[in-house]
Amino acid sequence: MIRPGHALLAAGAVLLATRPALAQTAATSTPAAADSTYALVWFLLSTLVLVGMVFLVLFVALISWMRPQLRQLYNLPTVHDTWSSRVLGLLVGDARLVQGEVRDEVLNHDYDGIHEFDNDLPPWWKWGFAFTVVFALSYVTYYHVARKGQLQGAEYAAEMQQAALFVPVGGDDPNQVTTYVALTAPADLSSGKSIFATNCAACHGANAEGKVGPNLTDEFWLHGGTVNNLYKTIKFGINGKGMVAWKGKLSGKQMLQVASYALSLQGSKPANPKTPQGEKEAASKPVAKL
Amino acid sequence: MESFFYDNKIVRDFGVATVIWGIIGMLVGVIVAFELARPELNVTRYTTFGRLRPLHTNAVIFAFVGNGIFTGVYYSLQRLCKARMFSDVLSKIHFWGWQLIIVSAVISLPLGYTTSKEYAELEWPIDIAITLVWVVFGWNMFGTIARRRERHLYVAIWFYIATFITVAVLHIVNSMALPVSFMKSYSMYAGVQDALVQWWYGHNAVAFFLTTPYLGMMYYFLPKAAERPVYSYRLSIIHFWALIFIYIWAGPHHLLYTALPDWAQSLGVAFSIMLIAPSWGGMINGLLTLRGAWDRVRTEPVLKFFVVAITAYGMATFEGPMLALKNVNAIAHFTDWIVAHVHVGALGWNGFLTFGMLYWLWPRLYRTPLFSKKLANTHFWLGTLGILFYALPLYWAGFTQGLMWKQFNAEGMLQYPNFLETVLQIVPMYYLRGMGGVLYLSGVFLMMYNLYQTAKAGTLLANEPAQAPALLPEAQDPHAQGGHWHRWIERRPFQLAVGATVAIAIGGAVEMIPTFLVKSNVPTIAAVHPYRPLELQGRDLYIKEGCSNCHTQMVRPFRSETERYGEYSKAGEFVYDRPFLWGSKRTGPDLHRVGAKYPNSWHYNHMMDPTSMSPGSIMPPYPWLFDNQLDKSTLPAKIRVLQKLGTPYPAGFDRLAVADAETQARGVAAALKTEDIDVKSDREIVALIAYLQRLGTDIKVKPAQVAATAAQ
Repeated sequence: MIRPGHALLAAGAVLLATRPALAQTAATSTPAAADSTYALVWFLLSTLVLVGMVFLVLFVALISWMRPQLRQLYNLPTVHDTWSSRVLGLLVGDARLVQGEVRDEVLNHDYDGIHEFDNDLPPWWKWGFAFTVVFALSYVTYYHVARKGQLQGAEYAAEMQQAALFVPVGGDDPNQVTTYVALTAPADLSSGKSIFATNCAACHGANAEGKVGPNLTDEFWLHGGTVNNLYKTIKFGINGKGMVAWKGKLSGKQMLQVASYALSLQGSKPANPKTPQGEKEAASKPVAKL
Repeated sequence: MESFFYDNKIVRDFGVATVIWGIIGMLVGVIVAFELARPELNVTRYTTFGRLRPLHTNAVIFAFVGNGIFTGVYYSLQRLCKARMFSDVLSKIHFWGWQLIIVSAVISLPLGYTTSKEYAELEWPIDIAITLVWVVFGWNMFGTIARRRERHLYVAIWFYIATFITVAVLHIVNSMALPVSFMKSYSMYAGVQDALVQWWYGHNAVAFFLTTPYLGMMYYFLPKAAERPVYSYRLSIIHFWALIFIYIWAGPHHLLYTALPDWAQSLGVAFSIMLIAPSWGGMINGLLTLRGAWDRVRTEPVLKFFVVAITAYGMATFEGPMLALKNVNAIAHFTDWIVAHVHVGALGWNGFLTFGMLYWLWPRLYRTPLFSKKLANTHFWLGTLGILFYALPLYWAGFTQGLMWKQFNAEGMLQYPNFLETVLQIVPMYYLRGMGGVLYLSGVFLMMYNLYQTAKAGTLLANEPAQAPALLPEAQDPHAQGGHWHRWIERRPFQLAVGATVAIAIGGAVEMIPTFLVKSNVPTIAAVHPYRPLELQGRDLYIKEGCSNCHTQMVRPFRSETERYGEYSKAGEFVYDRPFLWGSKRTGPDLHRVGAKYPNSWHYNHMMDPTSMSPGSIMPPYPWLFDNQLDKSTLPAKIRVLQKLGTPYPAGFDRLAVADAETQARGVAAALKTEDIDVKSDREIVALIAYLQRLGTDIKVKPAQVAATAAQ
C-alpha cells in the first residue's frame, strides 16, 4: 500500500520540478536565486511526500486495527449490498467487489462439448472500461471543445519560443560580418581535425583533397578563403549547392576550430586533388601546425 | 439423428500450409533482421531489405497467420455448426487460390512490384485475386452456417463473421487504384487521405486479421484443450461488440504528429485508450477459463502455448494504447520500439496460439498421440526465449534511439546531429534480436518434425463421422425461445452480419468522409506543383526499391526534427503523392527535406556506395540503378492515369512527357558533369536523383519566416 503511493507522489514531484514554467523562472533569475528556488521546491515536496506517507501508514494501521468492527458493520443486512457499503467492502477486503460474483452456473447450451458459465463481468474490468470512456471523452473535450490543450502546431510554436532563449541576439544573421582570427593552438587544430574527419571528410576527402565538395588545400575558393568566409560558409551552408548548414550541429567554437584546421591544410598537396574551383585567393593561413 | 462427415483433409492441408509458410516467412524475417546488422548481406537486387521486408510481413501475416486462421475456422466451424463445410469444391478453390496468391507475392515482391502501402503491397491483379478468394471463403463459411444443425451461433463464429466482413471492406477500400499497366497502379487517394485510408487499413488488419479470428479460435480451442467451461458468456458479448466497434476508430494513432488533421489524431488517441478494456475482456475470459486447469498447464504443452499467447495478447493490447498517447508516441514512433511491440503480438499471440492449436489438432486428425510431448515442451521454451531475445533488445534500442534523436545539449544544439550515430549505437541490439529470431524459428522446425512424425505414426481421418439431430423450424424449436436477450441475434447470422457491418462502418466513415470532403483538412499550398515526368519515374523507383521501408518522409513538428531536417511537413505538400510515402520506421533519416540539401554527386556516390558519403552506414548499395536504362515507355500512360485521378497536368501533356523527362535527365547529367561525374542521362539513377532533389523543395521557408512562426 505504501510503495505505490510513494512512487506516485515522487513521480508527481518530478513532473512538477521539470515543468517548463518553473524552468523558465529559474532561467530568468540569477543562478544563485535559481538554486535556492529549486532547493525550496524540493524541500516542500519532500516534506509533502513524507507527511503523505505518514498519513498513509496511520490510515492503514487504523483500518487493520478496526477491521473486525468494520466487518461487523459491513455484514449488517441494512448496510450490506448498498451502494455506499462498497467503500467499506473494499476496506475489509471483500474480493467479490473486485472480481465480481463467481457463481459458475453453467448455461443451458452445448457447442461441440463447450459450455459457458454466466459469471459477472469483473467489476475492476467494468470500472476500468468506464474510466477509459471518461478519459476519452475528457480528452476530446479538453482539446477540441474547450480548446484548452495545445495541439501540435501550438506545441511546436511554444517549443521554438523557448528555444529562442538560447540564441544570442543577432547571432543568427548571415549578413553579420564576423571578425574572428584563425586559431593556431595545437589543441584547437587537433579538435578541428577530428571534427573534420567525422563531418567533412565524406564530401571533401579525408585529406581535404576534394570529392563531392571542393578541394580545400589549394588557393582557389568558391565562397572566400578568409577564416571569416569559411566560418560563414560552414555555419549557414550554401543552399542548393550541397554545402550543409552546420549551425545547430556544431557550436561556434567548433566551427571556428574546423575552419582553422581546414586553413592549416593550405598547400599540403594531398594525393588525387580535385581540379581547382573558384577564385584564386591567398588564404589567411594559421601559423601553427599540428 | 442425421449422420454426416466432417472434412478433416482440408483442415490438415491448411495446417500443413501454415507450418511451411510459417517457416518461410520467419526465415525471411531472420534474413532481414541480419541485413540490418550486416549490410553486406544485401547480396542481390532481389533480396535487399527494401524488397524482402514486405515479403516477410506478407508471408507471416497472410501466409502463416492466414492459413492458421483457415485451419482453425475450417475445423471449428464444422463442429460448431454440426455440419460439413458447405462445398468441398469451394474449400479446394479457397485452399489453392490462397496458396497461389502467396506464391505470386513471393515472386512479385522481390521483383520490386509493390504499391508500398504496408501489408497491402501486392499489386492490383493480385488484389483482385485476393478479393475473389476471400469471397469464396465467405461463401463457403456462410453456406456452412446456413446448413447448420445448431440453432445458435457460438461466440467463435461471431468473431469469424466480423473478420470476414471487415477484412473484405478494408481490403477493397484501401486497394482502390487505377492501373497503369499489368503490374503498376496509382492509388485512388493522395497524400493525407491516402495515409488515413492506409492506416485505417493497416491498424484494422491487425485487428481483424491478427486479432478477431484468433479470438474466435481461442474461444473454441482453449475450452476444448482445458476441458473447462468458458468463464463468462456475458463478458464475451460485451467485449465482442465493444472490440469491433472501437477498434476501427483507432487507425490515426499511427499518424500522430503528422500532417493528419488534429481532430482525427485525437479521435485515434481517445479510441485507442477505450480499446484497453474490450481487448482485455478477451484476455480475462481466456485466462479465467483456465481456472481449475492450472495443474494441467504445467504438463500440457498445448495449454502452455495458449497461456503465453493470451498473456502476450494482454501485454500488446495494453502497450498499444499507451503508445497511442501522444507524449509516448513522440519518443516511440519511427523507432524499433514499435517493431518490438508488434512482434510481441505476432510471435506471442499469433505464433503461440497457432502452435498450440496445431499440437492439439494433429493427434486428433491422425488418431494417434503426439509423437513427442518433450519436443513440444522444448519448442515452447525455445519460442519463449526467442520472444524475449527478440523483444527486449529492440525495446532497448527503440527507447535509446528515440531519446537520442531528441537530445539537445546545453548550448541548445542537437546532441547527436549525425543521424548515423544514433543507428550505430543500436546495431548490437540488431544482432541480439536476430538471434532471438533464430531461437524462435528453430522451435518451429522442431514442431514441423514433431507433427511430421505424428502424421507418420497415424492415419489421417479424412472424413470424420458425426451425428446430430436436424434443426427444427424456429417456431417448433424449444431452444429458440427466451434466454438472454442476445440469444436472438445468435440465431440470425444475417442480422449478426449486418450488425457487425454497422459497428465497423461507423468509425471509418466518421474519420474518412470529412477528411475527403472538407477542404480545410488539407490546406492547399499554391507553390506545390505536380512531379515532372522524370521525377515521377524516380519516385516509382523509390517505391520499387522499397526505400520507404527505412526512410520516412514526414518531418514532425518537433524542434528536434526541424533542427535536424528542416521545416516540418505540411498536409498541402502531399496532394500529388500517390501513394503517400510517409513511411513508419526510420532506420535511415527522414528524406522529406533532402531535396537540394546535397549536390547531385553526393547522391550519385551515396547510391553507388553509401559508406563513401556516410562512413559506417548500414544502407546497402544500389549499383544496378547505374546500369539499368530508365523505362520511359510507361510515362504517357502514367500521366493519363494521374490526370484522371485529378493531377493538373496540362491537356496533352502525356505526349510531351517523354521529351520532358529527357530534357530534365540531360540537365541532371550535365550538372553531374560539372562535378566530375560522367553518367548517361538515360540511366535509372538520374531519375532517382531528380526525385530526391525535388523532395520537399516546393515550399522553401526562409529563416525569417521560421522565426516569425516561432514568435507567434
